[in-house]
Amino acid sequence: MATARPVRAMDPYAEQFWAFTLSRELRLQRCAACGKFRWPPGPTCDRCLSDDFAWSPLSGKAKVLSWTTFRRGYFPEYPPPHTVVALELAEGPLFISYPVDVEPSDLRDGMTLELRWIDATDKFGEYNLPVFGPPAARG
Amino acid sequence: MAVSFDRARLAPLKDAVAVVGVGETDYGKDYRGARGQAVSKGEARYDSYTLASRALKRALDDAGLKKDDIDGLCVGGTLSGERASEQWGLNPRWSGGGDAAQCIIEATLAINAGLCTTVALVYGNAQRSMDTAYGGARVTGGAITSYFYYAPWGMTSQGALYALFFQRHKLLYGTTDEQLGAVAVAFRKHACLNPNAVMQKPLTIQDYLNAPYIAEPLRLNDYCLINDGGVAIIVRRADLARNLKQRPVMVSGFGWSEENVDATQLRPRLKTFYHGAHHDVAAQVYPMAGVTPKDVDVFATYDSFSVHLLASLEGFGFCKEGEAGAFVQGGRIEIGGELPCNTSGGMLSESYMQSWNHQPELVRQLRGGLGNRQVQGAEVAQYVHDVAGKCKSLIYTRGA
Repeated sequence: MATARPVRAMDPYAEQFWAFTLSRELRLQRCAACGKFRWPPGPTCDRCLSDDFAWSPLSGKAKVLSWTTFRRGYFPEYPPPHTVVALELAEGPLFISYPVDVEPSDLRDGMTLELRWIDATDKFGEYNLPVFGPPAARG
Repeated sequence: MAVSFDRARLAPLKDAVAVVGVGETDYGKDYRGARGQAVSKGEARYDSYTLASRALKRALDDAGLKKDDIDGLCVGGTLSGERASEQWGLNPRWSGGGDAAQCIIEATLAINAGLCTTVALVYGNAQRSMDTAYGGARVTGGAITSYFYYAPWGMTSQGALYALFFQRHKLLYGTTDEQLGAVAVAFRKHACLNPNAVMQKPLTIQDYLNAPYIAEPLRLNDYCLINDGGVAIIVRRADLARNLKQRPVMVSGFGWSEENVDATQLRPRLKTFYHGAHHDVAAQVYPMAGVTPKDVDVFATYDSFSVHLLASLEGFGFCKEGEAGAFVQGGRIEIGGELPCNTSGGMLSESYMQSWNHQPELVRQLRGGLGNRQVQGAEVAQYVHDVAGKCKSLIYTRGA
């Protein structure tokens, strides 16, 4: 039984993003006209308004930009303390996730983290959640 | 972004409209009532219209105007324009809505276009008794995607987004928790001079640091209140604003700019602290009013979180980027200091009226006579509105 997570915001583009996670692929839309990556998923390129895109695989490398630790519970699925990180993906977009195998007190500005996958389910079904951990601890 | 606003067209709008009346509900009394027998969380016995109606009546009385003098209406986001008009027996010739700054700008434009002369701007929010949630699974405010998009990772609430913001500010500039704490301490000091404020108990920096984290590095007192209340503001064409009950307060400058590109990714929030929007608004509001930051006697910023003040002070040029933590020390932002900020106690300590409670306070500071809360000789007041990069600013000056 996959781990329950707070419900995803779903639309036709988000649906495709999450579908790739079933095969543990982190892909973002990349504009076929001008090459800009976009996140969250959506119908058009915000730079050139082209609606032509491809789901482009990402390297999974990211740098830490900021973080916060919830000391009060907001979701039953994430009892406090729960730490969330803001990352800058190697491909450019910023990405919110949570850190694994690293203590919040060990997080540093610009620290490199890499993609991991963790199981997840909500009312839309099972999927995998992209989370990030230190490269050294990779198993 | 290209500079597209037209100073020549904005110039004649300076002092063309005045605030002639303000009113609000009994924030403190209602809050204490809500905790006692009257109403507790989730047990509403009145609604947002009740509170808005009370505030409207008080603002009309303050102005010495009658309901039938009103020919335009703006309502805050929690109210329906139709229901509000119906409730108050109004058939407006023009109507608008939004946050307080947006409504004042819109009303100024409508009055200058000749659509109407006297506009009531009205807000009411029974958020405490209705148990409104600003985070978690029941979060409202679906217009801002970043508020709910990251729920699968456990990310929620505007507070946590501002925690990321402050953590980034700390990493870049070495801003400390003690420095941020000076904001909540100053605003509480102001609230203690305001009998209508919800919070009346003094807060020391030690109290601030001892209070629990909510979303670390933000603590309890970095967060605004959740309370019930209503606010109303009456604005009128300047030539019709003389010889009313109160000295008019002029709308002397305004500016508007929104930084929405990559907003859900939090790029403008975490990379530039929304300074792009701040700079754009500053370039409009100061020249239009014919003042600079040095001329501002009283300042107020949208303060759902204490962090907002740091961003506004840096973005509008009161100090350099990265220096707001040092700027807010030593009483500089307190009444009697160089730049008194949020002198009513703001949304942290007076009332969380989502930009509306700041306007009556600035108006009253310019009218004068606030006793020990009065900023001596106040002639120029500025409000900065920045909700997730949706930025506006107003400059008010004392009318004749």
